[in-house]
Amino acid sequence: MLLKPLLLMLERTPGPLRPQVLAALAAHGKPLRWAITAVEPSATGGTLLQIEAVVWG
Amino acid sequence: MPTLLVVPTGIGCATGGYAGDALPAARLLAAASGCLITHPNVMNGAALYWSDPRIHYVEGSSLDRFAAAELDLRPVRRQRIGVLLDAGIEADLRWRHLQVVDGCRASLGLEIGPVVSTAAPLAVQLSLGASGVSWGELGRPDLLLQAGRALQAAGATAIAVVARFPDDPDSPALAAYRQGSGVDALAGAEAVISHLLSAELGLPCAHAPALSPLPLDPALDPRAAGEELGYTFLACVLVGLSRAPDLRPRCGVPAAGTDLAIEQVGAIVAPAGALGGAAVLACAERGIPVIAVHNPCLLQVDAAALELEVLPAGSYAEAAGLVLALREGLSPRALQRPLGSLVQLGPLQAPQA
Repeated sequence: MLLKPLLLMLERTPGPLRPQVLAALAAHGKPLRWAITAVEPSATGGTLLQIEAVVWG
Repeated sequence: MPTLLVVPTGIGCATGGYAGDALPAARLLAAASGCLITHPNVMNGAALYWSDPRIHYVEGSSLDRFAAAELDLRPVRRQRIGVLLDAGIEADLRWRHLQVVDGCRASLGLEIGPVVSTAAPLAVQLSLGASGVSWGELGRPDLLLQAGRALQAAGATAIAVVARFPDDPDSPALAAYRQGSGVDALAGAEAVISHLLSAELGLPCAHAPALSPLPLDPALDPRAAGEELGYTFLACVLVGLSRAPDLRPRCGVPAAGTDLAIEQVGAIVAPAGALGGAAVLACAERGIPVIAVHNPCLLQVDAAALELEVLPAGSYAEAAGLVLALREGLSPRALQRPLGSLVQLGPLQAPQA
């Protein structure tokens, strides 16, 4: 088993935020700890979420 | 009215970013709500602690799962606390921790034991994320889980973990923290340890770091003072876990009786700049009022950035007033001036007969 730190940038889509974050993290492992740590405009005029996390598996 | 209080670990909150210095806010919110659910970072002041039957001590990842309706909480009279010691702790420091355990058994009457050591050092490493938030890693998570499972098999119903953390007494980050202007560098790794154990074993867990005592600093910030009163940070963890609620995985229907379920929660209180965590977002999805408190920290993930509707509060005292208003069924907006205009819907079309 390994613990892996992650830094992700996620383009926000309409709807609740938590499922979007969990879906993005699931591609890398089982989320152990995560948070949205910054929010900024995206190049397409939307919103970009910075997510810091530790995943394991 | 059950209320959640979240002060995320390792983000440098002015209140709650140090040694249990959100405890006065927690006590006030417990009085206002009658039932407060919060996490060890809020309650742990190393040698200092406060036990209040209205406050439920729930490890952070379990609190997130509670907010997501994945588990319920069952209050208990006492837990049997197993103690998990990192094999990387030196003999003298290990004795200091064992004497804290004995002190809590003898003087506080807590049910503690057995004690187990990991098969080899856990190899804790500290790090900072891109935002400056405290994170951390563990070289041997497998050994942590092995020891945790041994305690569970031996009858422990909660687990206190003590891991050897790297000493770095001359670091600028530690100096800044002790003088009240930095991030708790240990917090991120502590969270990883307790999250992993609690998620895997389904037991209440909390962590205390083992560190060599620091030299006297006359300029020490009062908020960090709780960590400099003794040789260990373990006493508060044992007291907190001694009455931590059982974690009950949700099986379809919400909890009944004396169990606590997210459906009963009337508000969540969190720093206004740190709303991007799992518990706050889960509560917001459910329409639970989010009280966003002015509590400066490293992050600026606020209601506007996330497009969340919140009740702003300038302080924890104001947040307690809002909790009390919600508990009494008062609209918080009725307490504000100017009072907003009444919303009127447009004219309705008569349905065809």
